[in-house]
Amino acid sequence: MQSASVIDVPAGRQRQGKYLVFQLGKEEFGVRVVKVREIMGLQEITSVPQTQDFVRGVINLRGKVIPVIDLRRKFRLDDLEDTQRTCIVVLQVAHEGGDIMMGVIVDGVSEVLTIQENEIEDTPEFGDDVQMPYILGMAKVKGAVKILLDIDQVLTNNEIRGLGRETAMETEASFDF
Amino acid sequence: MAKRKSTVAQAQPAPPAVPEIPVDQAMMDLSNLSGQIQHTTQSDVSGVAPPAFAANELNQDPQLIQDFLVEAREHLTNVEGRLLEIEQGVHTAETLHSAFRSFHTLKGLAGFLDFAVLQEVAHEVESLLDMARNGNLVLRPATVDVVLQSGDYLGVWLNYIESSANAKPAATPGDHMPLVERIRAAAVPEAAGDPDCESLSNPATEVPVQGPAEGSAAVAEVTSGGRRSESALVKVDTSKLEYLVDMVGELVIAQSMLRHNPEIGGVRSPRLQRDIAHLTRITAEVQKTAMAMRMVPIGQLFRRMTRLVRDLARKSGKQAELELIGEDVQLDRNIVEELADPLVHMLRNSMDHGLEGPDERQAAGKPAAGRVRLKASHQAGLIVIELTDDGRGLNRQKILEKAIERGVVKPDAQLTDSEIYHLIFEPGFSTADKVTDVSGRGVGMDVVRRNINKLRGRIEIVSSSGTGTTFLLKLPLTLAIIDGLVVVVGQDRYIVPIFAVREMFRPAPENLFTVEGRGEMAMVRQKLLPVVRLSRRLGVAAKSEDPCEGLMIVGESDSKTFCLLVDELAGKQEVVIKSLGATFRDVRGIAGGAILGDGRVGLILDLPTLVGGLAHVA
Repeated sequence: MQSASVIDVPAGRQRQGKYLVFQLGKEEFGVRVVKVREIMGLQEITSVPQTQDFVRGVINLRGKVIPVIDLRRKFRLDDLEDTQRTCIVVLQVAHEGGDIMMGVIVDGVSEVLTIQENEIEDTPEFGDDVQMPYILGMAKVKGAVKILLDIDQVLTNNEIRGLGRETAMETEASFDF
Repeated sequence: MAKRKSTVAQAQPAPPAVPEIPVDQAMMDLSNLSGQIQHTTQSDVSGVAPPAFAANELNQDPQLIQDFLVEAREHLTNVEGRLLEIEQGVHTAETLHSAFRSFHTLKGLAGFLDFAVLQEVAHEVESLLDMARNGNLVLRPATVDVVLQSGDYLGVWLNYIESSANAKPAATPGDHMPLVERIRAAAVPEAAGDPDCESLSNPATEVPVQGPAEGSAAVAEVTSGGRRSESALVKVDTSKLEYLVDMVGELVIAQSMLRHNPEIGGVRSPRLQRDIAHLTRITAEVQKTAMAMRMVPIGQLFRRMTRLVRDLARKSGKQAELELIGEDVQLDRNIVEELADPLVHMLRNSMDHGLEGPDERQAAGKPAAGRVRLKASHQAGLIVIELTDDGRGLNRQKILEKAIERGVVKPDAQLTDSEIYHLIFEPGFSTADKVTDVSGRGVGMDVVRRNINKLRGRIEIVSSSGTGTTFLLKLPLTLAIIDGLVVVVGQDRYIVPIFAVREMFRPAPENLFTVEGRGEMAMVRQKLLPVVRLSRRLGVAAKSEDPCEGLMIVGESDSKTFCLLVDELAGKQEVVIKSLGATFRDVRGIAGGAILGDGRVGLILDLPTLVGGLAHVA
């Protein structure tokens, strides 16, 4: 697996660096390039039953089965038809049991941007009920706003573990083996 | 031959009488000697080839000689390592066996090629080590020295054979008789209690005393020659291996897509057809090899148990000997790892509950030392691991009483022996009157069942009161591959493991019933079986709500029989099981994913959880 060879982003809230910019609906988002493993065209996705609605299913990434998340649904944006530009960004997401690979469906990728610290503003307060720990900040580049995501926070450990939601199916403890 | 380059010759003085000579000093003595030998043998070069090196057609074959040299040197390296462990006191009973086996194999190899001197020396050392491992001889530093010297001597011989084969004879090794004399002298058991003869007192030399010879002999018989020496092995990171297996899987898919490509199919070229057939064959071979790389012999796991049995016997004041059979049986390394825990618990159970104390055993007319046998074998595509003890057997009545007391079983239940024995796998179930630090909390056997289930295996128990218990673990060869039926429900394809499938049929309306408006049943061969609609279980839309347009798969899981309704059958395929990863650990009814022939992912159904809610029928 080829890793994107970019400078190491130190841990913590250091936010400047290279970002991959992609679109969801009308908004533009950025994820750190070091997190990106590859970008692939949309392919047939096998849906997994009884999972949360933002889970599209699983795909075969060169022999490995990886989950695919619909980021638009995850952020509760309006559903859109898949287009030619729709693609899967394969990301490496930190997980308590080690990093895992995960695909996210986005409406299109545009560029890799180097963003300086002074271009980044803190997330504005939207009120107490809107918790957004997964937003690193807002970058204003050439007049456009890009929302910088901390992808490890977008899918927290609990969520990653619980992509398969508890269902009503019950197992009866049967004594016979 | 690494550290000890010295050789042995006639000039060797009497073996060190005082065993306290430090190893370093002994080495120095030897290296001094080797100087002398170099000197004496130099003048011997002109002499004729030793009589022992009789030419025959076998020992003139360069390939055979080469193989012999490689193998013999591996054995000598092994011997040296083992002996040094013995000398340093860091070794187990296996160490001595291993050294013994190496000499035994050397003797055989040398005999085969008519190298009489090598055969004779190896034979003498073998006898010596045999006495040692049977407890008839205490290994003292001086004895270890003699054995090491014998190894060195054989090493010189190997060099000689090699140089002769290359038509550049090197120094002839010295006469072997003085060495043989000294081995024989060392093999005479000395009077016990000699304060000067501080034995290398440690577990290994004591084990044979504790467990009579037959058991340990069996260990050696079965394994001799079966294991390859360490140096012929390469250690590979498992993640690399998994990546290789993944890539080979992709190669097979790419190859198959190419082969079935209609455009290529349209080309009328015998040459293209031949090349594609060739590619297919090679791909299949590569896949087979990649899969085989995951297989390891179960012996390494078995040997770990030797120590456990010894420790448990010590702790409980019982006597036990462990017999290992079938250490060469190969299975997936994942399975071997997963088996370690269950085996430990089962052995603990056998040692603590199965085997009686020496007094009780003698009163029952059995030998004081209990026998535990661990055996691995192949049976109808499965690996069977058998753990047998000759203890008191499972107490059917006591288990039943405990189960009724705990409310696991109704007092009026009619249970077969097998059903009763399986009660011991219930969590927290224990018939032990007192909890020891070995077992009795009812945790162990529960772990056994869970682990074996996870490995898609089965446990069977055979027991008879007073004569012992046998646990049979039946496991698949590998966790990596299953044979599956590819079925279609709605838009998606799923894989039903074929080991759970009994038969398939297209349902007719007269065979379908509804029971009290709750469940659907189907009549199959005069039996009413519950119907599970896969579409409803998985929450996906079926092509048709009418079961008569679908297909029924009669399946069996956790001793429940049921009918699984699917839309249609898409084929049968051997698939490599892929984990869905940490992300989908909680998805019920799905055991994993598999890459199907077209490169897409199909989900493998986990029948036990899928039909888990069914009432207990048939």
